[in-house]
Amino acid sequence: MSQNTAIVPNNQLVKGNHDFASITKLISDIPQERTPLWWYIAFGISNIVMAVMLAMIAWLIWEGVGVWGLNNPVGWAWDITNFVWWVGIGHAGTLISAILFLFRQGWRTAINRFAESMTIFAVMCAGLFPAIHVGRIWAIYWIFPLPNSMQLWPNFNSPLLWDVFAVFTYLIVSTLFWYVGLIPDLATMRDKVKGTISRLLYGTFALGWTGGNRQWQNYEKSYMILAGLSTPLVLSVHTIVSFDFAVSIIPGWHTTIFPPYFVAGAVFSGFAMVLSLMIITRKLYKLEDIMTVDHIEKMNIIILVTGTIVGFAYAIEFFIAWYGGVEYEKFAFVNRAFGPYAWAYWIMITCNVVSPQFFWVKKFRRNVALTFILSIVINIGMWFERFVIVVTSLAQDFLPSSWGYFSPTYVDVLTYIGTFGLFFTFFLLFLRFLPMVAISEVKGVLPQANPAYYRSNNGKSKTTE
Amino acid sequence: MSMDHHHTTLSDRLTFPEDNKIATGFFAAGILGVVLSLIGLFVNTEQFFYSYLTSFTFIASLVLGALFFVMIQHVTRSSWSVVIRRIPETISFQLLWLGLLFVPILFGMEFLYEWTRPERIATDELTQYKQPYLNIPFFVIRNVIYFTVWGFLGYKLYKNSVAMDLSDDPALDKKQRVLSAPGILLFAFTVAFASFDWLMSMDSHWFSTMFGVYYFAMSFQSILAVVIIIVLYLFRKGLLTKTINNAHIHDLGALLFGFTVFYAYIAFSQFLLIYYANIPEETLWYYYRFEGSWIILAYLFLIGRFVLPFVLLLGKKAKTNYKLLMGVSIWIVILQFLEMFWIVMPILHKGAISFHWLDITLLLAFFGISSGLFFRHFGKHSMIPKNDPLLAESLNKH
Repeated sequence: MSQNTAIVPNNQLVKGNHDFASITKLISDIPQERTPLWWYIAFGISNIVMAVMLAMIAWLIWEGVGVWGLNNPVGWAWDITNFVWWVGIGHAGTLISAILFLFRQGWRTAINRFAESMTIFAVMCAGLFPAIHVGRIWAIYWIFPLPNSMQLWPNFNSPLLWDVFAVFTYLIVSTLFWYVGLIPDLATMRDKVKGTISRLLYGTFALGWTGGNRQWQNYEKSYMILAGLSTPLVLSVHTIVSFDFAVSIIPGWHTTIFPPYFVAGAVFSGFAMVLSLMIITRKLYKLEDIMTVDHIEKMNIIILVTGTIVGFAYAIEFFIAWYGGVEYEKFAFVNRAFGPYAWAYWIMITCNVVSPQFFWVKKFRRNVALTFILSIVINIGMWFERFVIVVTSLAQDFLPSSWGYFSPTYVDVLTYIGTFGLFFTFFLLFLRFLPMVAISEVKGVLPQANPAYYRSNNGKSKTTE
Repeated sequence: MSMDHHHTTLSDRLTFPEDNKIATGFFAAGILGVVLSLIGLFVNTEQFFYSYLTSFTFIASLVLGALFFVMIQHVTRSSWSVVIRRIPETISFQLLWLGLLFVPILFGMEFLYEWTRPERIATDELTQYKQPYLNIPFFVIRNVIYFTVWGFLGYKLYKNSVAMDLSDDPALDKKQRVLSAPGILLFAFTVAFASFDWLMSMDSHWFSTMFGVYYFAMSFQSILAVVIIIVLYLFRKGLLTKTINNAHIHDLGALLFGFTVFYAYIAFSQFLLIYYANIPEETLWYYYRFEGSWIILAYLFLIGRFVLPFVLLLGKKAKTNYKLLMGVSIWIVILQFLEMFWIVMPILHKGAISFHWLDITLLLAFFGISSGLFFRHFGKHSMIPKNDPLLAESLNKH
């Protein structure tokens, strides 16, 4: 009876010769250092871009939705495209923090804080568009089921209302999850910082954390419960976003595979965004020991998988559009690929289906420069996917006499670009003031965290030998 | 990553008892089923083929689910599942002859598939339109492709794994991964199209892009239940009790819980989108399956296949409660059969649930023979991949 008793060495999640103290120092020093010059420059640019967005929104509210390129029949275009795009990006954070947590993927610890923060800011950008696209923004509170003197209730049968609930729930739970995870690290910051005011602020938000046994037990429990609650939310948000389209009878929108296909697409774009940001940040802050090439490789595998699921859905949709024999459905799909928006369709196919196929090859998965380029390509592709879905089906609908073509105005373009300003303003503030890596969690995946570690090293830590 | 060395060696017996009475028992039941069903073929030919397709798609869903289970473990290099992997490996090995079991369906196509009937082709415009895809030669070619792909994957993954029992060549482990990654891609397309061909095309006007995912979701939930049943059966026989521990059982239970939700998510999304849009070419499929007493089964799936296992498996303790797990798993497998029944049979028996004795005999035939084959193969080799490089980690799981 032969048996392989060799233990396959686990790939170290944290590279370099780190111990608990050096991890704490590496992360908690960042908010205490002098603000680097590039940060001021980046923050300044983000602020300007955000100001442009605010000006565009002000103009929109002053003048009306007519300042956008919307026409008849294209009543939905960039606004909804941008909404779905941003909300899709906001899926990675909770997937990484909740689902990967439940699957006990230790490598998530290096990137979860980062991804969660990105999620919250992305969802904020997303929420902006439905709010401003209503035309009469002063009546926006009507989307909430508030009892009022006019006996006015939202339409509970409408997925647009479910969307409001889904996105808000997601935002609240994600923020809570993010904050709960931050508490031990905020306490670390409180103990490290020198300034009185910063100590007071970190201390306030650390909620009196001392790192006692009982606190950790409660913390672990609440983290587990939040992970359990967040997991269905990852699926539900984009499922309901897909319902916005799929419950209708518009050709190209009404297809049953939409829910899982949208979720896969969301995870796909979210991971791409995390990679784009992470690759820059790890370089700027010299975090290559924590956010390693192994992490990039694993994320690229998820990108390959989700990208291929999206490709699978495109193929099945196309086949069923023919197979179903419904004339309008067939037209919608052929028109997508060969009609006036063919350029957008082929950008989508190239970016979303073709480009991730590089990641079948290990060498490409571990190539940081290529990953960075592809991560941006993918998000361009995912924007075009939403654009293709939203606009092509509307522009050529059932009635050929009313067919149109959508062209964006400068307000459309600048509002969209402006949301990057909003996103990066918050993101840079996060990088500057909060520990961007979950310190306590990364320590948990160090070999030193194994109770048997010191025993097998004669009571010594390897790094102190 | 525990360093407790006493766990890292295998102390259980690794082979299934020589006498293998259970295989013999299943074969006997299977042969009885075959004989009775053959009588039924002459008594009620049409019913025979409908019952045959029901049982075939039921067994196929389990075997395909097992193939996916094996491939996903290799791709993710998961260590926890090593000690139980030989079970789904042995199940998916049966893909080798699943194609043979499909052959009888080719003789009953005129009963099962309205698009093959000449009078239908002559009068129905949509059937004519679908001819380039829905025609008998192409149908046969497609199925040959499906069974070749699956047979190859199931056979290779099993053979490599068994070969690893005799050598500790790490190249074999790598082979499994190299096979599994593209294997999953092929799996996705072949299973989707197979489900379109076998089941969706029975209502030749109906279409749903979700249908392939729906078939997959059902099959994966069911195979998890099957693996749990087999592991707990082995425990009852006193086998592998020191090799498979509660941590492994807990993970299987957690996966069963997760994919119960996934099944409900997919099945409900498909229903909701069709119900909401309410266009006749799509709603008709549900119309027949909700008509008369058929709706009882639809409610049974909602409550029995989602609500009940969801509530029962939610708690942490439930996932290691053997009695409960066994009960829920058997229940889910029964419901998987009933769901196939619910998909296939309303075409033959419109408006009311109608069981025929052929449903039982063919199920007996399929289930008996495939379970017999499973246990016969399971008895031939070690019950766990004893040379797998990740075995030690799997044994140490706690």
